[in-house]
Amino acid sequence: MIIAEGLTKKYGDKSAVTDVSFTVQPGKVTGFLGPNGAGKSTTMRMIVGLDRPTSGSATVGGQHYRRMRAPLTEVGILLDAKAVHTGRSARDHLRAMAATHGIPNRRVDEVIELTGITAVANKRAGGFSLGMGQRLGIAAALLGDPSTLILDEPVNGLDPEGVMWVRRLVRHAASEGRTVLLSSHLMSEMAQTADHIIVLGRGRVLADATLPDLVRTWTTTTVSVRTRRLPELAHAIQRHGVTVSQNGTDTLKANGITATDIGLIAAERGIPLQELVPTAGSLEDAYLALTGDSVEYKTKEIS
Amino acid sequence: MTAANQTIARGATPGYRLSFARLLRSEWIKMTTVRSTWWSIAFVAVLSVAMSLLLAYAATSAAATDGAGDGEAIAIDPLSTILGPTQFTVLLAAVIGAITVTGEYATGMIRSTLAAEPRRGAVVAAKAIVAAALLAITSAVVFSVAALATAPLLAATPVGWGDPALSTVPILFGVLSMAAFALIGLSLGFIIGNGAGAIAATVGLVLLLPPLLSIFPSRASWQWIHDLGDALPGPASQALMTVGTESGLSDGAALLALAGWVAAGLAAAWIVLRRRDA
Repeated sequence: MIIAEGLTKKYGDKSAVTDVSFTVQPGKVTGFLGPNGAGKSTTMRMIVGLDRPTSGSATVGGQHYRRMRAPLTEVGILLDAKAVHTGRSARDHLRAMAATHGIPNRRVDEVIELTGITAVANKRAGGFSLGMGQRLGIAAALLGDPSTLILDEPVNGLDPEGVMWVRRLVRHAASEGRTVLLSSHLMSEMAQTADHIIVLGRGRVLADATLPDLVRTWTTTTVSVRTRRLPELAHAIQRHGVTVSQNGTDTLKANGITATDIGLIAAERGIPLQELVPTAGSLEDAYLALTGDSVEYKTKEIS
Repeated sequence: MTAANQTIARGATPGYRLSFARLLRSEWIKMTTVRSTWWSIAFVAVLSVAMSLLLAYAATSAAATDGAGDGEAIAIDPLSTILGPTQFTVLLAAVIGAITVTGEYATGMIRSTLAAEPRRGAVVAAKAIVAAALLAITSAVVFSVAALATAPLLAATPVGWGDPALSTVPILFGVLSMAAFALIGLSLGFIIGNGAGAIAATVGLVLLLPPLLSIFPSRASWQWIHDLGDALPGPASQALMTVGTESGLSDGAALLALAGWVAAGLAAAWIVLRRRDA
């Protein structure tokens, strides 16, 4: 379990992270979602003691990272940027990391095989592609068989197969009861991987909810209905909180009412329906609704 | 592709925990698995032995010429041919110390290092011990090779191995100086964090500052500047390696000065590492 309490990081006058509090539960994959510059990496670095918070604190499994006596077995970390000496081979890097905790070379070979970098394990890390670098970073994170995984943009630079592999890895880790926190700015990836989402924007927590709750709260479901008796149906479903808009001669779009209710109302009145299609909002819609004002680097509309 | 569900767990992980001995082992692996370490050491070794040979050759030639001229042989200090190159190689030792740290900052490796051992003091101490040990071993070997290589040239005036004060003690001081300079460079690496900056600071401290301070007039009011100049790491280490104290600090004072530089450097490195974000 990761607990962040009032984490704040200021660089001079500029606040990168402001009063961020959240709890990451074990047994679930928690996604850290937010635009570039939202403070995801800074928050993760503060959790593992690399950056000092201006105020607030964070614990993993009840302990401050800087006080842990076996940190690699508690927390596996993959940081956004490569954190490997470019002149050292992947195997030597892992051996050096493992040596700090007395982790045997057998385990080094295991994580090399597990992350699929056997073919390049004896090559210098400086020549690695972004994807291979990510795999090496994940291998290092897994060395101590940690009960918590903190992965910053783990699918960055991976090919589709690698993306699938990371997804299965974190899902499996969560199913074993581990705590998993991963960040991404890719919503489609988050929607498929995470159970719980923490949305960050401009250094603040904008939302902290399960994936379905987040989508439900921040998007509206639209039902599209096609019928030859359009005005009759439109009148029948008209009530408080329901907005109806006509779309063509025989189609209407309704907000604020479920497809089930529309179907029941139509059946009661014997109105035949040719189509009844509910369109649920996506995480993307929820995300855009949430972060609309907090994107640091806005793009101009392409006309 | 290895499947994720092949299991990432290995069950219990008894005994996986930090210890200082393990940290030293990790730092030793790091030090010996980058090529730049071996290149730098080879460079120090070749330069040092070659200079010793040249110094020995020059000294014997000069003695021969002078001897032919006025019939009075010039005394050759055989030890100075072995330790003379340290005037240059201490700088290299400091640079090696600096790049073991700045290499980690430049590549981001420092974050992996601090993730594995979050206690900053332990990281500084482990890196310091490994760098000092590496340079001490290297220079002990280099001085031995230089002694053997120059022995035939200095057959007329051999090193007085019978008297430790004229042989092994100055050589041990040479070994100590090389280790001390590695630590000074390592400290500057932590304090400055950037390779070019750390090397510039090292060159400034070792090569530029001593002659700069010696320019001050030899008046009583400026004596403190000259005292400070004698206590700089370069002059202090040379005083240690020179037999007899015709100039500079006594051995005890020079050791104290050198230890002071190392201690101050490492303390500053620790404070900076504790405060700075990685």
